[in-house]
Amino acid sequence: MNQVGAVGLIAALVFAIYGMITGAVAGKLRSPRILKSAQRAVLGFFAMTTLAVISLEYLILTNDFHSAYVASHSSRKLPLLYKIPVLWAGQEGSLLFWTWLLSIYVALAVLLNRKKNRQLMPYIIAICMGVGTFFSLVTFAVANPFNQLSLATASGVTPYAPPDGNGLNPTLQFHSMVAHPPMLYLGYVGFAVPFAFAMSALMTRQLGDNWIRVTRRWTMVPWMFLGTGIVLGGQWAYHVLGWGGYWAWDPVENASLLPWLAGTAFLHSVMIQEKRGMLKVWNMVLIIVTFFLSIFGTFLTRSGIISSVHAFAQSNIGPWFSVFLAIIAVFSLTVLFLRLDFLKSENRLDSVISRESGFLFNNWILLAAVLAVLWGTIFPIISKAVENQTVTVGPPFFNKVMVPIGLLLLFLTGAGPLLAWRKTSFQSIKRNFVAPLIFAGVVGVILFFVGVHHLYTWMSLFLCAFVAASIVGEFYKGARTRMKSSKENFFSAVYNLTMRNTRRYGGYVVHFGIVLIFVGLAGQAFRFETQGLMGPGDILRAKNYLFRCESFSSGQRANYEYERVSLAVTEDGHALTVMHPERRFFIAEQQPLSHVALRSDLARDLYVVMAGRDPVSGKAIIHVIINPLVQWVWIGGMVVLLGTILALIPSRIERQMAELHKSHAEVAEAQHVR
Amino acid sequence: MSAKQIARVLVLGLALVNIAMAAQNPADIERDIGNKVYCQCGCVTSLNTCPHLNCEVKAEMLKIIRAGLSQGKTEPQILQDLVDRYGEKVLAAPPPHGFNLTAWILPSVGLLIGLFLAVTVVRRWRGPAVQRTAPAGGPPMDDSVRAAVEEEMKKYVD
Repeated sequence: MNQVGAVGLIAALVFAIYGMITGAVAGKLRSPRILKSAQRAVLGFFAMTTLAVISLEYLILTNDFHSAYVASHSSRKLPLLYKIPVLWAGQEGSLLFWTWLLSIYVALAVLLNRKKNRQLMPYIIAICMGVGTFFSLVTFAVANPFNQLSLATASGVTPYAPPDGNGLNPTLQFHSMVAHPPMLYLGYVGFAVPFAFAMSALMTRQLGDNWIRVTRRWTMVPWMFLGTGIVLGGQWAYHVLGWGGYWAWDPVENASLLPWLAGTAFLHSVMIQEKRGMLKVWNMVLIIVTFFLSIFGTFLTRSGIISSVHAFAQSNIGPWFSVFLAIIAVFSLTVLFLRLDFLKSENRLDSVISRESGFLFNNWILLAAVLAVLWGTIFPIISKAVENQTVTVGPPFFNKVMVPIGLLLLFLTGAGPLLAWRKTSFQSIKRNFVAPLIFAGVVGVILFFVGVHHLYTWMSLFLCAFVAASIVGEFYKGARTRMKSSKENFFSAVYNLTMRNTRRYGGYVVHFGIVLIFVGLAGQAFRFETQGLMGPGDILRAKNYLFRCESFSSGQRANYEYERVSLAVTEDGHALTVMHPERRFFIAEQQPLSHVALRSDLARDLYVVMAGRDPVSGKAIIHVIINPLVQWVWIGGMVVLLGTILALIPSRIERQMAELHKSHAEVAEAQHVR
Repeated sequence: MSAKQIARVLVLGLALVNIAMAAQNPADIERDIGNKVYCQCGCVTSLNTCPHLNCEVKAEMLKIIRAGLSQGKTEPQILQDLVDRYGEKVLAAPPPHGFNLTAWILPSVGLLIGLFLAVTVVRRWRGPAVQRTAPAGGPPMDDSVRAAVEEEMKKYVD
């Protein structure tokens, strides 16, 4: 199977090169015949990468330790659930996985556009296959997952298989780790398609609004996956790393945030181009930046160029990625520069106080956030190069810089939708802003009197109230109008209103999800933690909770030994629950890991870690954290996901327009036949 | 008192309360310092979040912090002790001097340049909206009519 996978990988590379060349030739010669050949190459690329992925999974599932990759990242006793993610646990497998996901996206783009966008497709294929060529080449030449272990003996080199593998990093043996990397990768990879659409639109001079309309969904899908991946990554960190947090501004975390922020800016600013024919150059710049940052993120994640808690990837792929990033930058900016004359704005701004300005300032803040995160992330490298000095840029820096930016963004999230397109009258501002501001003011006063005195936390919750009220107001106003005109009840009106314009109301749901995430983030200001040594009968107090050590137990499971403490928890003297933090020792990997005990409700999490045993007393070192409002971060993430899915559903207006176009086309065709 | 003055008083009041609440006990200072320095064991996380069991480097760093606290040293003095022992890389954020200043300044400069560009773009975009305004001499639009039009437009142009 190793040879099958290796052949699949080489064939994928050949198909990618062929698809890239034929795509470009088909675009240049406008030849449908060559385009067909390029489309087949895409399907061949997909088939061959699929073959390579299946081969590697087969080697993993059958414990074939002749494979260097399997021997390094798997073991016999690794549970099946965690054998599947071994595919993306190491450098070689993850690059193959990246290539495979790209092949899926491109194959889908080809299949869904067989009869559409005929002029754009050749260059879309050429660009996507260019990206595919790069990833297949790196996977084949630098990080080949199909290398085999061998022993050099006197009689020559002989194949070798160790009795067992090194196993999977214990921190990766967690359920959200099964979904987190694929989600992130679906996000990173997926931005290749809208980038290709944009470049193709430039190359073919098809710079009307079509490419923007077509790529909106192709951008939203990877944006949704990337956002979901980021939230799942936070969940993983929260449950596994044992420090009670979910975001540490680690370079690898930042790498995933950067394209998400740039993609968010793009998704907002394309609306101005669709509605008003403005910001055409800017939208091109944004999609280039988004794609560039997604490759940059993959580079940071996989190259180990910057010290990170995710130090699972130290490798020599850095120079390859540097060259590829340079190619992307030079190619895309050159094409953009050559087509600047075709990107003139069609309209002027009617008023400074308008939805257009709101989006422009939203873009300003989002890009400022990108700059700040990028600068903080790469500053250690720059400092080393300029000053030969090693510096660390961690949470204190990012929190100081990013919190004000985040609050401005939160304000615009609420204010933007309250502004009308073209021009907002003073009366309209008064009418739209008064109710949300009054509500937020009341909430702000209540918060102050219940003890929320930390300035940023107070501002964050105040703005959350403002944005939530503005969103609810938008739904209410729309529903009221429908109730008057269509005699519907409130719930039907809200449903019909939403389905009539899924994009707008889906967007509001996404904004509401962001509000919930900010509520969860604000809760961190009230975090409480304590630590103690505990033997049977010992009690540890954390605020109004008492943790009483009941017993210790130990045992062995498939791939680890464990030691467990049972803690009876009371809240204000009333029995609440029994919690079981564990200390695990993974046998194949020879690594210890804490398994956090959690009790969550909407108000707070009780987060208990058994950090180890005190060498002197033999008692357990128990770390208790009371983490308020954490669940709202996960709920907010879910709401963002649901809102995005809602916005992806074609609205009634869109469906009616599509049917109208279809019937027009049928009439035209019938007249043509006659 | 104008709305602006009320807002100023409110912000000032909140800031004062914030400062007053900032008085800390030694355990809080220890935790604060633990968030401001990175464990030097190679885990690339802050001292408070080092995931290693019985980490010797963490224990040594905590010893320096506790010694400082017992000697009545302030937080900056204890941070300096850690810098003296491990170098500036122990700090979780670059100290604001020399080349490191650029780390702190550039995001703000970027923000201001972005604001300048956004304002410039808005100004350049603002043209005489002749084509879209009502014909000269026409009656001014009533506010209630304008509101209804805006409401109606929202349904279609969003």
